Amino acid sequence: MTDFLIGLFLASLIVALFTTRLYRLLLWYSINSLMLGTLALSIGKSIDDNAMIITGIITIIVKGIGIPYVLKNLSQKFHFVRQITPEIKVQYAIMLVPAILVFTFYLSEPITHMIHTNANYVAISISSLFLSLLLMMEHKNVAPKIIGFLSMENSLFLLGISATNGMPMLVELGIFFDLLMAIVVINLLFHKEEMKV
Amino acid sequence: MILYLLSIVLLVLLAPILLSYIKATKMVLLFKRPISIFQGYRNFAKLMHKETIISKETSAITSYAPFLVLSPLIVTMFFLPPIVVGSYYVSFVDAFTITGLISLSTFFLMLLGLDSASAFGGMGSSREAFISALVEPAMVLTIFSVSLMAGNLGVGQAGVNLAEHFPKEHMASFLFAGISFFILLIAENGRIPVDNPETHLELTMVHEAMILDLTGVYLAIIESAASIKFIIFASLFASLFMPFGLEFSAPIAILIFIVKLFIIATAVALLEVNTAKLRLFKIPNLLGLAIVFAFLSLITFYVLGA
Amino acid sequence: MMLSFLLLPAIIMFLVSFSKNNKSKYLLAFSSFVILVPIVKLFLLPKPYNILSSYLVADKLDTYVLLVSSIVGIGVTLALLTLDKHVKVSPKAYRKFYRFFAIFWVGLIFSILANHMGVYWIGLELATLSTVYMIKTNYTPAAHKEAWNYMIVGAIAVSLILFGIILMYASAKPILGENGMEFDLLLAHAKEIPSPFLFEMGFAITTVGMFVKMGFFPMNLWLANIERASFYPVAALFSGILESAIIIGFFRFSKIAMQVNYDHLFIFVFVYTILTIFIVAFLIFRAKDFMRLFSLSGVEHMALITMFWVSGAPFAALLHFGAHAFLKPALFLSTGVLESNGKYKIAGALRGYKGKKGTLFWFLVSLFLLAIISLPPSPMFFSELYGFGAMISNAKQSNHMLAMIGAVLFLLILLSIIFYRFVAIYQAMKYEGKEEEKTVYGSELFALVVFAISLVTLLFPATLTYLKSIS
Repeated sequence: MTDFLIGLFLASLIVALFTTRLYRLLLWYSINSLMLGTLALSIGKSIDDNAMIITGIITIIVKGIGIPYVLKNLSQKFHFVRQITPEIKVQYAIMLVPAILVFTFYLSEPITHMIHTNANYVAISISSLFLSLLLMMEHKNVAPKIIGFLSMENSLFLLGISATNGMPMLVELGIFFDLLMAIVVINLLFHKEEMKV
Repeated sequence: MILYLLSIVLLVLLAPILLSYIKATKMVLLFKRPISIFQGYRNFAKLMHKETIISKETSAITSYAPFLVLSPLIVTMFFLPPIVVGSYYVSFVDAFTITGLISLSTFFLMLLGLDSASAFGGMGSSREAFISALVEPAMVLTIFSVSLMAGNLGVGQAGVNLAEHFPKEHMASFLFAGISFFILLIAENGRIPVDNPETHLELTMVHEAMILDLTGVYLAIIESAASIKFIIFASLFASLFMPFGLEFSAPIAILIFIVKLFIIATAVALLEVNTAKLRLFKIPNLLGLAIVFAFLSLITFYVLGA
Repeated sequence: MMLSFLLLPAIIMFLVSFSKNNKSKYLLAFSSFVILVPIVKLFLLPKPYNILSSYLVADKLDTYVLLVSSIVGIGVTLALLTLDKHVKVSPKAYRKFYRFFAIFWVGLIFSILANHMGVYWIGLELATLSTVYMIKTNYTPAAHKEAWNYMIVGAIAVSLILFGIILMYASAKPILGENGMEFDLLLAHAKEIPSPFLFEMGFAITTVGMFVKMGFFPMNLWLANIERASFYPVAALFSGILESAIIIGFFRFSKIAMQVNYDHLFIFVFVYTILTIFIVAFLIFRAKDFMRLFSLSGVEHMALITMFWVSGAPFAALLHFGAHAFLKPALFLSTGVLESNGKYKIAGALRGYKGKKGTLFWFLVSLFLLAIISLPPSPMFFSELYGFGAMISNAKQSNHMLAMIGAVLFLLILLSIIFYRFVAIYQAMKYEGKEEEKTVYGSELFALVVFAISLVTLLFPATLTYLKSIS
């Protein structure tokens, strides 16, 4: 089950890399976060860790529903460019993405020997970190860059869940707090009407 | 052996029904009065009665290409994984053979399109070549990856192995292969994001452009070839990616298999209703995604064992 | 209790920023001094002192860094009083600047005092995000663009840091459990970490994140661009407080990494910093305005600090750090004054300051300018002397003595390039150009005096013994 969820996590991120529409991208981000939250729930249930179940629920509510909704509202309010064509052409992306995956899988191979629980997840979260970096790099518009930043957060979260069976509760709540702060700052950054002195 | 032949006959008979079912589902979803699911048979019967006219410009290829389009597909039907435990099956045919046979059929279809020397035929053939060039690597990779997970390179044997022992520990790579294969199913059968089978609009058509000049018996053969191609892909998907329910007694297992086929058809219909057709030059995006997923499935299995 | 006193000035600032009264900012100049009370108390208390269970612990190192950064905070608050006299800023933006400065300060107090990797990261991220808006308060297209750039670069850097932290936590979890994020426990059990490779990988990634944030080798110019585009106090805050928080994190992580595998750490950081200084020296040589010049020299000094720290001279590193943290904000603040009339002109920038205030101002600025290139009475001179000495004596025990001497000579050549450039700029400021009437305001002069006094205090024997006792 967890393998299935983590597969969907990576799959939604890869699909997001090839997306050319903003709302689709938001949808894929939302699915990505939903998978992450469900994963946290299922792992939390299997190791009987209440903290992880709580973080899973918060992830689903905040990242899966809240942030995509807020971003969609923002995009309507500030008239974002909704057609976002990646700077990297598809034919190169087709070669680049598998190259990144192979590279990261082999990069994290020594690590997977050291972590006994869910060893493969570490490799997948490292590769999704690189893929979100690619998502940030391949777009010139601001909105997909934000999505890239948020999915980077997601992959770090996945690493936290998988490599360490969940970080301390305080840290996870702090990360959520910072994420909300990031959204507030992003919202403020878009206010162009304040540009006059 | 009887069960084996019976299942092939059943699949061939089911093929037109499945395509009509997709069309009917779409019509229901669009609030239209649906066609009967036996419409495929009616069309076939109608075309068989019609006079067959061949353009004067064509060479001999047009007269035998339709049969060569159909026959590799019929041969492929014999190599599919079994739908009931205990049925006879061909175990040694691997991904390359199946892909090759399907490509052979596509090759003759393209020849057919070129042969009439009409503008549309050439355009359709070139588009088909463009799409199938992208489909084939992904298809080989996907079936290969699934075969590796099942522990046997033969597709038939792989289907049996998967049914006996489902690879729970390789769920992630299994999922990637599934996504890739579903995209291929859509692309290779000319369903909506890639090609619209229902219109004759010159800008969009691929499959229809190649067979625009055909009538009568030849058209009937080509249309049945299209439906058989769909059922080959659907039953490959059903036996490789939904490998359960084979262990029941023959009638129930066959029923379960048919239900699986209809589930796949419903999924295709839902997708067709919900998406718009892609521009031709966007199709590489979709198929590139399929290649990426196929490759990802292979390396996830190979490197991580997940 | 202690914590609420420490956060009090920032909280007052946050609350005052909502008042529409223009005079209320003068309150902040006084309230910011309140932070010194708990810090002095912290110096007197026995160390380590738990401020908030085991999450925030004051030991000798972070009390010192906290003091340094608080003095910078006070100085910047003083200089902020006259921001509207030097640059165009709307009252609303002015208030927002204060508000986000307060959040920034809170985040960094948490970061500096943190004894917990997670808390450290949370504080850093909070500070990063609030800086984004502080950059944006300058309503120019350039600042808008740089705010977005900072958002992206900062987010990547901070994410790398978190990534490394998770890996380090994963490496320590088998022996320490949930407490694997606490610096002191990790340091005590560093030798027992079951998978050193995992720890080192985490450390390397965290370090790269920190180096990106400090503007090291591949990302040399973004810091300069941001400091150019934003208001000058942002640059002062960057160099004084944010970099203190980052460098203290580096100190703590590298202390543990030294226990795990000293050689790997040393080679990695040493090569990285030499490369940085090599590139920065030439960038400084080509710099044509104050902001870029100073921010690039900031990168150079941070590289020197990390280099001294890893070559086993924590005293030199801390002294250099203190001197840099006082000098650089002072220079950035005076840049704001220098550039207020006759934008970006280097020639004659120091001329035309008349009267007692003006004379004191140009005297202080030239003092700072000459101190930043480590002319003898400056603490930087002693720290560099001591640091290079430690590097040589460190190499004596190993068998790459010659390579180390070569590296030091190379560094000295690079530093002399920077030295030459700064002296040339100083002479241009003092002896070239036209003389115009310019003014300087009391509050910013006071801030500069605070910095000058703290700089001198660094050289007192008591301070030096305290710094020596830290390592």
